[in-house]
Amino acid sequence: MRLHTLVLKDISRRKTKLGLAVLSVIVAAAAIVAVITTFSAATQGLYEESNKFGANIIVRPEVKTIPLVAGSTSIGSLSMGDNYIEESEIPKIYTIKNNTNLAVVAPRLYGIATLGNSSAVIMGVDPEKEIKLKSWWKIQGHWIAAGTPEKTEVMVGSDIAGPLGLKEGSSITLSQGNISINALVAGVIERTGGNEDGYVILPLAASQYLLSKEGKVSSLEVRALCNNCPVEEMSRQIEGVFPGLEARPMSQIVESEMAVVEHTQSSAMAVSLITLLVSTLTVASTMLASVNEKLKEIGIMRAVGASNTQVVSMLFFEGAIIGIVGGVIGFAIGTVASSLAAPFLVSVTPSPMWEILPLVVGICIITGMVASFVPARRALGIDPAEVLRSV
Amino acid sequence: MSDNLNLIQVKDVTKKYRLGSNEVEVLHGINLEIKDGEFVSIMGQSGSGKTTLMNIIGMLDRPTDGSILIKDIDITKKSQKELVEFRRRTVGFVFQQFHLIPSLTAYENVALPLVFAGDRDDGAVASALERVGLAHRMNHKPVELSGGEQQRVAIARAVVMKPKILLADEPTGALDATTGSMIISLLKSLVGEITVIMVTHNRELAEYFDRIVYLKDGNIAD
Repeated sequence: MRLHTLVLKDISRRKTKLGLAVLSVIVAAAAIVAVITTFSAATQGLYEESNKFGANIIVRPEVKTIPLVAGSTSIGSLSMGDNYIEESEIPKIYTIKNNTNLAVVAPRLYGIATLGNSSAVIMGVDPEKEIKLKSWWKIQGHWIAAGTPEKTEVMVGSDIAGPLGLKEGSSITLSQGNISINALVAGVIERTGGNEDGYVILPLAASQYLLSKEGKVSSLEVRALCNNCPVEEMSRQIEGVFPGLEARPMSQIVESEMAVVEHTQSSAMAVSLITLLVSTLTVASTMLASVNEKLKEIGIMRAVGASNTQVVSMLFFEGAIIGIVGGVIGFAIGTVASSLAAPFLVSVTPSPMWEILPLVVGICIITGMVASFVPARRALGIDPAEVLRSV
Repeated sequence: MSDNLNLIQVKDVTKKYRLGSNEVEVLHGINLEIKDGEFVSIMGQSGSGKTTLMNIIGMLDRPTDGSILIKDIDITKKSQKELVEFRRRTVGFVFQQFHLIPSLTAYENVALPLVFAGDRDDGAVASALERVGLAHRMNHKPVELSGGEQQRVAIARAVVMKPKILLADEPTGALDATTGSMIISLLKSLVGEITVIMVTHNRELAEYFDRIVYLKDGNIAD
């Protein structure tokens, strides 16, 4: 038999009375788990929603525009500066401080080409990266592959496909100056309401060849991989490593929605922490009552050789057990509560967050042990001669 | 230098308690010597200070003044940690109300001192239970035992560490006469290897003791 066996037997004997302490820990743990699970799911849902908006940051050459004015009449503007980014410079973006938050860096090259008897805007992309940004596009057909200028595929927007009668498998010829390429239509992008409805999208290398812009891109679309990345700060960092380029943070609507979620989450977490505080006091109160009930037993233990350290250890162990049991049950209840309530509260169905189980149980163990502090002081103040005489 | 046959020397022990704003002196400069292997009874009326004296000898309580020497070593000067070790290895206690832990079996109750001392149970528990005739009841909890059996378990717990001194406070007080006699006989059988000091107010048990110390109003009576 060991000390912990003594505690477990004692808990087993008084399980009804200790039930109140465990229950209070369960309530606190369930509240914390429900808040974390629900709001994590809500934030993740918003994040996924934000993916439909595309990139968080757009990087493009800084263009200085000089307005042209004749008298009091504006006659347009004059743009100055290099309008392209060197493709070889792109890897420098991974040297920024928040580089681990860079999920996708997709280069694009824009230009005008002749398609049949008319002009069309062409957009050269890295298909592997672009598909991560535009995963919500619905393609009649399939996404383009990387390809080469000699053998390339294109996707066309619905505003182009319709008038020209293009569909998956159609052949087109794109030309610009003396250069032309033949391409196979891999797919037609269903109407999005965005600019892409009027684009011909082709692999970056093919577009560079067609536009005679080898090694150049027009912009970089950057997706930051996090729920609340410091997008503004990342934009400044990008501008720091690319002198002459400007990085514009996007998705401000999503960010403001995130801010609302975070504010609500903070309020809910504050309530949870108050619950945890109440739980600590309840556990302390229950354990203090328990120590008062066990004065005689503690006196006996002291008389037969228990040291102060052993008496205190037993109480802390009891507190830890209350914390473990309450934490695990609370986690289960909080997870179930979250899965039932979240669809109504934040329109998401959360998954169990097993990764927070150790944290929650750890907090509950600490709660139980902190709550044992006052009872432990009481136990140390017991005079065995007095309690054994008075019973 | 004292006679080295004296295991216990109580020297000028005074004990005062504070009751509200009043201070009550329970023991008034007690002097007492107990030899190794004696069976000594401390008798006296209720409130005479006999339990207080026993608790002080076992260092469950500290004297206000005076000293307790065990084998010429003053234990009243020992630290709290040293006193824990003293209670573990040198003294065993038996109480009137048995004071067993209700959630533990007889075996586990007897094993408690070993658990707290961090000692291995190399058959000591079974041996102690056998000595009090309860080996067959070792898996029973206190509620399943009679009063006499509970007191025998308490005696087994008191002797499991093979202490030099056994302090028994009215061990027959909660038992009928027959069972009480059985308990006294059991304690008597321990005398020799253990020095037994028993507090009682029952003069009918006088025949069992080597010596009786009478306490009256906190003083040793002639």
